[in-house]
Amino acid sequence: MRRRRKLLWQLYPSYLIIVVLSVTALGWYASRVLRELDHERSVAKLTTEAFLIEKLVHGLWSVDKGPELDYLLKEIRSKTSDRITLILPSGKVLADTHFDTDRLGQHAGRPEVKKALGGEISVAKRPSFSLSREMTYLAVPVNVDNRLAGVIRVAMPESALTGLLSKLQGELLLAGVIIVMLSAAVSLYVAQRINRPLAQMRIGAAKFAAGDLQHRLELPNSEEFEALAAAMNEMAAQLDSRIRKITRQRNELEAVLSGMVEAVLVVDNNQRVSRINQAAEQLFQISEIRVKDRTVQEAVRNTEFQRFVRRTLSSSEPVEGDLRLLGDPDQFLQAHGALLKDSQGAAVGAVVVLNDVTRMKTLENIRRDFVANVSHELKTPITTIKGFLETLKDGAAKDPESAERFLDIIIRHANRLNSIIEDLLSLSRIERYAERGEIALETHAIEEVFDAVKRTCLKKARHKEIQLEFDAGDQIYARMNPTLLEQAVENLVDNAIKYSETGKMVRVRAVKGPNDIMITVEDQGSGIAREHLTRIFERFYRVDKARSRKVGGTGLGLAIVKHIATAHNGRVTVESSPGDGSTFSIHLPIE
Amino acid sequence: MAVRLQRDIDKLNRSVLSLGALVEERFRMAVKAIECRNEELARQVVEGDIEIDHAEVDVEEECLKILALHQPVADHLRYIVAVLKLNNDLERIGDLAVNIAQRVADLVCNHGDFFQIPFDYHTMAQSAHEMLRNSLDAMVNRDLDLAYQVCAQDDDVDFMKNQIQALFAKEIRKNPDEAEDLTNLFLISRHLERIADHATNIAEDVIYMITGEIHRHRRFEYESS
Repeated sequence: MRRRRKLLWQLYPSYLIIVVLSVTALGWYASRVLRELDHERSVAKLTTEAFLIEKLVHGLWSVDKGPELDYLLKEIRSKTSDRITLILPSGKVLADTHFDTDRLGQHAGRPEVKKALGGEISVAKRPSFSLSREMTYLAVPVNVDNRLAGVIRVAMPESALTGLLSKLQGELLLAGVIIVMLSAAVSLYVAQRINRPLAQMRIGAAKFAAGDLQHRLELPNSEEFEALAAAMNEMAAQLDSRIRKITRQRNELEAVLSGMVEAVLVVDNNQRVSRINQAAEQLFQISEIRVKDRTVQEAVRNTEFQRFVRRTLSSSEPVEGDLRLLGDPDQFLQAHGALLKDSQGAAVGAVVVLNDVTRMKTLENIRRDFVANVSHELKTPITTIKGFLETLKDGAAKDPESAERFLDIIIRHANRLNSIIEDLLSLSRIERYAERGEIALETHAIEEVFDAVKRTCLKKARHKEIQLEFDAGDQIYARMNPTLLEQAVENLVDNAIKYSETGKMVRVRAVKGPNDIMITVEDQGSGIAREHLTRIFERFYRVDKARSRKVGGTGLGLAIVKHIATAHNGRVTVESSPGDGSTFSIHLPIE
Repeated sequence: MAVRLQRDIDKLNRSVLSLGALVEERFRMAVKAIECRNEELARQVVEGDIEIDHAEVDVEEECLKILALHQPVADHLRYIVAVLKLNNDLERIGDLAVNIAQRVADLVCNHGDFFQIPFDYHTMAQSAHEMLRNSLDAMVNRDLDLAYQVCAQDDDVDFMKNQIQALFAKEIRKNPDEAEDLTNLFLISRHLERIADHATNIAEDVIYMITGEIHRHRRFEYESS
């Protein structure tokens, strides 16, 4: 509002000044012209009078005819208001209409008289010495017999004229004031008219600025303002479409970034994080709001990553690297970094893309270990069998006692070989069936499974004097393949017996939880160290290489349990603390 | 002048945070080396210590440079003083991580990669790690509450160490032959406890940095008030 008034106050006073100035100038000019016209007229009148008088007094002009002339002039006085004076070249007044000649002093010093004595007609406008008024004087030289005989001076007071003039000026002033007032009102209106579309445009522009780009300005009447309003409307439309475009692009980018599995970080030249995507938030367990505009060192406490960012910023080529995030478990990342450049090609930051290759790396490890382990597991019995067979062939067969012993060893190792291959086959069978969905699941009571396991394991437990305790809970039913589940539980119980010392207890329980049915096998054995817990379900993974082979077992038991649990849409977990024992749990989904 | 001071302080901040990250990583590696009985990891920690030492010297030099060039006051001065002090603590934590790694290396050397640890280091190591991590987080985020939390947590670690000490006494009476290994194991618990102490010092420096109050040796007042 204040701005609009300001513009009005810029326009309006200038209008007023122009009006007042022009009225004043006009008035001044008019009165000047009038005054000049009047002066010319009076001079003309005085000239005529002077020549008439000259004609009148020409014959009488001489010093001694003074009183006669004076009388004549005094007579004329009643007919004219002008003062007529006859002056001798000496400056002495010969005759005068208004005054006694004796009382009038020397007139030669009067400027008009002085000039006339020089032989020319002269006009002067000055206050009178004799009469204290502003007078117009005209002096004409009088020549008698081609000789300067004197001067006729005619004078006329200004007063009559001035009165007329001041009356005229008063009227002019009144008219001027009226004109000024009228035009003040008109110019106020005009100024406001000019101002109004501007104010509207200002409001419209404010709306644009506030984001209301759908708003359109009204087109004002004047050409310039119309063009301006049209240009602003066009601008708003352009802005609108561009902002929409940018928003769309940004949303797309946002969607792409947040949908990416790879973590993406953008940093500026000062190693400050300018944005990260959701994958990066999860990877480093940070939130974008907290780390925005903070340095990489503050945001991510990982030296390898910090070094990688520095390397990316200092290299003109895209860089690659492998990073390791320490944690539980460690994460392996493949990093790609490249500089971000602005439109001039100057580097403004860098973008780092991190690919989580932990799973790949783990799988690679498992595969490598599996190949090494399976060869090792198969090779050990074969080497033994081969060795003893060769010994037998070399003559030991002739000694019945050692032959008997050797054959026993051979049979034991052949059995072991057989059971490894048996387990491998059943593992691949479960895997294949599970893949094809050919494992038939039926609803059975957990108790049935426990009964079957009890039958097979009781002997082993008794043999090792281990107390076996089953608790099938209260009528818990689950969808299962009884044969497979029996095998899984049996494997777990078997392991528990194997790794428990004599006299300890193994507890097998079934519990129905809110989300799943849990079958737990709890032992009081030596326990498993933490670092093995994630890997013991891998094929042939052994916690203690020497010991587990001594107690027998193929190294595949837990892998089979895991596959069976997976085939039941469940999972298997383990908790253990070294020295206190371990608890394995099979989680089955509630039907 | 102010701009240059801020720039130098930013640089110092980056350096000290890098050092913090480095020390934290070394500590985690050392702890992992205990858990996995991994000699290779332990060796890496021992060999990497020189890097921490250099970083410590660099941070100190940057602090001294700022002090000499800019004569900082108020916040900036407190920040520099705090960094000078916690820099030292970080370096000590690095050394302690090396000590732990050496103990692990000795044990692995004597026993191969399978030996029983009768004490529960995991909880203690986790507590110490949490304290270190929180003290660094408190520095990054200028988080006073977190810093106080670290100071309070120190008692837990001390308590754990005392428990382990009692256990150690019992074990050594039971198996006097294994005195050497048990001593090695006991030293690890001591190192962890020292690391927790240094983490507390860092938290106290952070408190000083934020409030200007010297919190050290005032725990009893703090608790009783």
